Amino acid sequence: MYVDVQEPPWRVIRAFADKDRSSLVHVHNVSGGVLAGDHLTMNIDVSAGASAQVTTTGATRLYRHREGSRDSEQHVGITLGEDALLEYLPDALIPFAGSRHSQHVSVQLADRATFLWWEVLAPGRQAMGEVFAFDRLRIKTDVRSSARPLLIDNFTLEPAKRPLSSHARLGPYTHLANFYAFSAGTPASTWISLEAKFNKLCSAQSSPGDTIWGSSRLASDGVAVRGLSISARKLPAMLAAVWKIAKHALTGRDAILPRKVY
Amino acid sequence: MQALLRLLQLADSAVPIGGTAHSFGVETLTEEGYLTSETAEAFFHEYIGEAGSLEASFVRRAWRGEDPIQLNDEYTARKPARESREASQKMGQRFARLVTAMTQEPGIPDGLSYPIAFGVAGARMGIEEHATILAYLRQSLAGLVSACQRLMPIGQVAASCLQWNLMPSIEGAVLASQDNEEAGCFNPLSELASMRHGSIETRLFIS
Repeated sequence: MYVDVQEPPWRVIRAFADKDRSSLVHVHNVSGGVLAGDHLTMNIDVSAGASAQVTTTGATRLYRHREGSRDSEQHVGITLGEDALLEYLPDALIPFAGSRHSQHVSVQLADRATFLWWEVLAPGRQAMGEVFAFDRLRIKTDVRSSARPLLIDNFTLEPAKRPLSSHARLGPYTHLANFYAFSAGTPASTWISLEAKFNKLCSAQSSPGDTIWGSSRLASDGVAVRGLSISARKLPAMLAAVWKIAKHALTGRDAILPRKVY
Repeated sequence: MQALLRLLQLADSAVPIGGTAHSFGVETLTEEGYLTSETAEAFFHEYIGEAGSLEASFVRRAWRGEDPIQLNDEYTARKPARESREASQKMGQRFARLVTAMTQEPGIPDGLSYPIAFGVAGARMGIEEHATILAYLRQSLAGLVSACQRLMPIGQVAASCLQWNLMPSIEGAVLASQDNEEAGCFNPLSELASMRHGSIETRLFIS
């Protein structure tokens, strides 16, 4: 791993060599969270043929907005070279009451590059009674191959203006989880097979009203698994399970959990 | 007058493009209890604000002449749920062929998703931009309400009243898409319903 530039609050100390010789990197937020006015940028460049696993040391906590400050922002730019592999496995995003935040993730895949990614969105500090008490959360996601866009997601959540409990949005659920697997140039048959395997698992793990899962291959070069739950505890095990299946199907390699409890 | 007549025909809920075979996740939402005849109006008000705004933005951009193939790539990248995405593509394809058959003119490129094909057609036929988008959304909503009638106890009059009451939301979605090329949409439960549609034991709809 080579660190070009780094400034607090994000820090990476060193990479660890995983059993399959990929680099395991932990991104620490030494300030404990994202504060009003913070503007954080992280660029990850995985060279041709290299492989890396990037995770965090804890949830990303978005703190209350302060009058007179800009909304906090977080930009993650990821570039994968040919035949590169990146497993981007951050902990949950927890928007605290009164927070205002924008997140932009932009990914560019070269030919035969593989990108495995999960994300979890929590409603707030649920144990303290904070559920959808944040002011505003903007999320923009853009994943592209050299040929075309693979996934674009763009939404702004303002719970006070547009209730998230509407069945047009989250319904009775409070937590959202996504897992995505992309591999540029992989044949459609691989995605059909993965979708079928995931859907079997999703059906077995779903209990409407508590936690539901579904899977779908994307328009090109990818597959998505989505979950909604009333609790954060129900999500990690399933995310780890689909990740293991995807990594093996796409790379022939076993998934190595980044030393957390799942 | 000709433009209005064309619009009325294209936007007819009976236009033969296979729309009645698709529920876009409504069947799953109904099966799993999230959508009932009592909650349908409230649901669709919010649904139009999310999915409707997104669709409206793509109709508008297609009408304004953006490259339809690139626009279609972008649209399909915004639709992770395969069944709904494929439904839109099939309807778009049938619509394009229908327009070619009716106008006898080389027309809309093949393979476009429905909102894009509709926007292209509207522009080529001289139909005003705002009217094209309103018509598209109204027709889409009519299709979803029709699906609801087959899934739950909503009679003809109730369905008509439902569509009538949703008109302000349709107009709101069109206006919201006006200067917003990067339209936002957050409807994970509906998308998940589309993803989970294949797991329903007895299905009336293809999607």
